[in-house]
Amino acid sequence: MKEKDYKYTPELPEEFKCKVPLPGTVQAFVTNGILREEITIDGGVSLKTHSGNGFIYEAKEGSCCKESLQVISFRNSQNTNDISIENELYFRKGSDSSLLLCTHTLSMDKFITQEVVNIEVEEGAKANIVVMQNEHNASTHKVDFRLSVAAKAHIKINVITLHGALLENDFNVKLRGEEAVCDLNGLYLVDGKQRVVTDISMNHLVPNCLSSQLFKGILDNSSVAEFTGRIVVAPHAQKTEAFQANHNLLISSNAKAYARPQLEIYADDVKCSHGATSGVMDQEGLFYMRSRGIGESEAKLLQQLAFVYDVLEKIDNERLRKRLYDLVESRLRGEFNHCENCSMNCC
Amino acid sequence: MLKIKGLHASIDGKEILKGVDISVNAGEIHAIMGPNGSGKSTLSSVLAGKETFEVTSGEVLYKGVDLLELAPEERARQGLFLGFQYPVEIPGVSNVNFMKTAINEQRKYKNLPPISAAEFLKMMREKMAVVEMDNSFSGRGVNVGFSGGEKKRNEIFQMAMLNPTLAILDETDSGLDIDAMKIVAAGVNKLKTPDNAFIVITHYQRLLDYIIPDVVHVLFNGKIIKSAGKELALEVEERGYDWLING
Repeated sequence: MKEKDYKYTPELPEEFKCKVPLPGTVQAFVTNGILREEITIDGGVSLKTHSGNGFIYEAKEGSCCKESLQVISFRNSQNTNDISIENELYFRKGSDSSLLLCTHTLSMDKFITQEVVNIEVEEGAKANIVVMQNEHNASTHKVDFRLSVAAKAHIKINVITLHGALLENDFNVKLRGEEAVCDLNGLYLVDGKQRVVTDISMNHLVPNCLSSQLFKGILDNSSVAEFTGRIVVAPHAQKTEAFQANHNLLISSNAKAYARPQLEIYADDVKCSHGATSGVMDQEGLFYMRSRGIGESEAKLLQQLAFVYDVLEKIDNERLRKRLYDLVESRLRGEFNHCENCSMNCC
Repeated sequence: MLKIKGLHASIDGKEILKGVDISVNAGEIHAIMGPNGSGKSTLSSVLAGKETFEVTSGEVLYKGVDLLELAPEERARQGLFLGFQYPVEIPGVSNVNFMKTAINEQRKYKNLPPISAAEFLKMMREKMAVVEMDNSFSGRGVNVGFSGGEKKRNEIFQMAMLNPTLAILDETDSGLDIDAMKIVAAGVNKLKTPDNAFIVITHYQRLLDYIIPDVVHVLFNGKIIKSAGKELALEVEERGYDWLING
């Protein structure tokens, strides 16, 4: 990728350049909750300032704008107060767009951020959202994703949590129209004393909807991951298909993974499944790799990458997926401080 | 090349190998036969360095070096290869990446630069042809969704890629139909040179019709009870093990 392939919104200091985006991507920056510049992209996508803190994203009716926008939201020393952010995302009727939301911290201050993301996916709209969270060891960040999904609408959210003291992602999904699809996936990598909490409430309110959840995490040291996944199928929501999986790989005996699958099914013609596991490294697999000359630490790394592989595969955009795969690898290698391709000085 | 002297090994306090002596020279193929539970797989695991087994006494010299002192990866880097009886599935790691990592780790050990992409692909193609493996295998996860025969062929493919000095094939023929077995055997025969050696562990004489051994050992109850030429395999096939055990 060449530098000139990127379009940057004007008047942004050079040091905030992030090389995650793909050619043609427009970047928008949110500093301590304040959108720096409103943006309109040809094809029908706009980003405007919310009356409070935060932004309003809108993909216009019938618009098609893929890989269009990356919103980089960061906290820095300019405001170390606890802040609340409210974002609204509107995917209007029949629109098709994708969005990359990144959150970072740029200074070592103690931050507490509360964020609400209201997501409205209208009839027949397609929304593809990738969330990348990379914050430092004194950052607490809670995000409430509230989704309303209309008939024949399709939303996919992939959350990649790389770092942060306490990161909580809550999803309240209401599948309101028939044939709505919601695909939620997440990957969290935690070590030290970090804690990642995921709380999902997947509500099938009408018949013939599909939801699926795949959340995986690797836990080292004394880290903690909590996953609560509730699927509620309303009495009339027949022909519901709802799937949920949560798998944790514990590298250290001090790490803790809590998995709470909760299914409340009030309809009688549904297909639902859930699975939760917590496991350790596969010694047979490690020996197999070592017997081919692969060193122990490299073998462990390969096994960890293999573990998270299927979550990353959920990311549709191949180049973004490759980029995130590299980030995950450098995170697992513990090389994050000198990640060459990022000027964010992550963690 | 390999000298095993009085090797005793146990798992969870239970002694499996009770004094094994084998000597393998470059250019030789040795077959190890024996009934179930005699310690054949334990022997191969101990030689490859599996840590679940404890070596209680004896020594193993490989090219004059104390093999038992080396970590599994160091043994591999010095040219030892184990073809697994039950190859492990590694979802998420493609065959290509797995082999590239293995080869580069071995090259790094020999102070060689990483293999070039072109050279690697050429080698992949050549070696896949040795075991008649389809190119589509390369992008798939290691052994994931492979049939029993495909897994064993993949072992031989990996062996061809890594070009070991001493290869131990642990029941590579089990679960193979006759065509797959011929392919595996042909792979071994193609790789055989005067400078390398093979230890083929098998239940059946059948494989030895295709891979002709120089020496056949019968392992029973943790000891080699008989070593002889290739005719021993035929005799075992005909008469079973009882005459050796009771004799």
